[in-house]
Amino acid sequence: MAQGIINQYRQAAHDLRKNEVWRNVDFAPQLTDDMVLPTAADDAQLQFWCNIQGLEAHRIAFVNGAFKSDEQSEQSGVVCCTVGEARRSYPELLGKVLAEVGTDGNPYADINGSNATDGLFLYVPDGMTVHQPVQLLSIANSDKSLLLHLRHVVALGRGSSLKLIQCDDSYTQQGAFSNNVLLASLTEGSRLEHYKMQNLNDATALLNQTFVSMQRDASLCSVGITLNGGNIRNHNVVRMTHEGCSTEMHGLYLIDRQQRCDNYVFVDHLAPNCKSHELYKGILDDSAHGVFNGHVLVRDGATKTEAYQANRNILLTDKAFVQSKPFLEIYNDDVKCSHGSTIGQLDNQALFYLMQRGISPRNARTLLLYAFCDEVLRYITVDQLRDKLGDMVKKRLHGELSACLDCALSCSNTCGCTPPEFKIDLSSTK
Amino acid sequence: MALLSIRNLHASIGDKEILRGVNLDIEAGEVHSIMGPNGNGKSTLAGVIAGNEKYTVTDGEVIYKGRDILAMPVDQRANEGIFLGFQYPVEIPGVSITNFMRTAVNEQRKYRGLDPLTGSQFLKLMEEKKKVVEMTANLANRSVNEGFSGGEKKKNEIFQMAMLDPTLAILDETDSGLDIDALRIVATGVNHLRRSDNAIIVITHYQRLLDYIVPDFVHVLYEGRIVKSGPKELALKLEKEGYEWLKEL
Repeated sequence: MAQGIINQYRQAAHDLRKNEVWRNVDFAPQLTDDMVLPTAADDAQLQFWCNIQGLEAHRIAFVNGAFKSDEQSEQSGVVCCTVGEARRSYPELLGKVLAEVGTDGNPYADINGSNATDGLFLYVPDGMTVHQPVQLLSIANSDKSLLLHLRHVVALGRGSSLKLIQCDDSYTQQGAFSNNVLLASLTEGSRLEHYKMQNLNDATALLNQTFVSMQRDASLCSVGITLNGGNIRNHNVVRMTHEGCSTEMHGLYLIDRQQRCDNYVFVDHLAPNCKSHELYKGILDDSAHGVFNGHVLVRDGATKTEAYQANRNILLTDKAFVQSKPFLEIYNDDVKCSHGSTIGQLDNQALFYLMQRGISPRNARTLLLYAFCDEVLRYITVDQLRDKLGDMVKKRLHGELSACLDCALSCSNTCGCTPPEFKIDLSSTK
Repeated sequence: MALLSIRNLHASIGDKEILRGVNLDIEAGEVHSIMGPNGNGKSTLAGVIAGNEKYTVTDGEVIYKGRDILAMPVDQRANEGIFLGFQYPVEIPGVSITNFMRTAVNEQRKYRGLDPLTGSQFLKLMEEKKKVVEMTANLANRSVNEGFSGGEKKKNEIFQMAMLDPTLAILDETDSGLDIDALRIVATGVNHLRRSDNAIIVITHYQRLLDYIVPDFVHVLYEGRIVKSGPKELALKLEKEGYEWLKEL
């Protein structure tokens, strides 16, 4: 069974090798023949929780693809259960959402569709604001290399709002391949804040696919922070189908060694008066390989569109490598659009400024790298999450990105490694 | 022995020689002003003393506190008490002035074998030094130089000077871009920091600043050399007659 799926992936990679959207994607190093699908025997307890100090959140976890949570209750009309449960208990609601939002039909999404074991179903009724964020953790904890497929569905009623924190973590050093799809339907005037926190071991590949469909005046703010992971592809597709929508889509990737991180963003402006803003920033060390592939499509009739795209990269070594392709496709005169990309090193004059105050070269570099990251972290509106990610970024940056070489969980108190010594207080300004 | 003694200093950027044999002696307790037309080496001299690697020193020596510092790294020179007030201070988004200064002060203290300041000690010091340049509380909670006006950036430079209490401060065109009130505040701040055991080099184009910070000596840097030195009255003559007459020297 697993071998059949592995073959499907290999076929997909072969078929898409000349496809502009997928040609940089190569999961071959992680997709090994010894991979297996999780079975009941792989049911593991949740031994690690991606804690965010001081944050009260609704916690939902999938360990080795299996649902673990006691949040399965309905709270004043909010539905929070597995997709399997929704199929049984809320077939009409689920069906209605799935009619509104689908994937872009890529083969990887199809493989996910036919193999997804489960997923989270979240429904927020009209006019409701879910005050506590929902934290969705997917974690692999097995001595086997698992192939994981989850398919989540999020539906926001009119004028409702939700904060979703999606964490992908590894518990062991065992490799895994996780192909997750999240379908989100944002109806009129609703708002989704979607934070992604990715901290996986170097043997793990993650394909995180997010498809969002937005109706009139809906707004989306997505911030993805990639701290570690062998091979990560974030595949984001946003369709603004009605007037007045706003999309903020931002990302930060800190990668080193042989890691790969590939961010694809497709924003489809189908209606007038919509805004989209993308800022992706990356720091690449050692032989890391980054990709930014951004595509903004402004369709005929999508007048008064505002679309901005930026990708900025710092390469710390000669071997680090980044491919950056911001792309605007505009069929309309009445728009304000811009795109830009930079790839460079740390500014020597800024380093000189810091060192002239007596700050050591190492701390000066860390300060500047943190300052570079802060521009993305600022988009996180949940204070505790921003502080936590800020701390994790500092730990990651300390020691030129290799502080936690033997630890996939540099964020966790449970990890056995000595926490990196961090002498300087780099709290960002509020 | 002079605090700073520069002998036959030659420096270049790439193939272009900027300094062509500068000689200068500065004693503790003195304020020296360096004037001269644009592009004649004033900022280069400041950068070479501070250790900016943009410049290559091709000949000569810079003796500070009895040691040749040309091989010393930038941060070590700073820890030895050399401060450069930048003409164009760098913006560092995401790093608050408080944390930037706390890092700098504690690294300098560590170098001198002193214990780091605690949070409350540091904040107390900062409150005290903010007064030197009439800095508002608000300013210290912001990212370093980010979105600062020209005047705020220069005030922030003098604030940092006050925090770090250098032995030799070089102020590179600290007066440029300042309105008359900001100029007075900055100059008052500098005078406040003037003592018998430190020295200040003021690089400026205008006599105006020297009305506030009265120098002991004025030097004219022209074509990479100090071609004229004199008392403060020299600045007045330059203001009146320009630099044209120097070409005949």
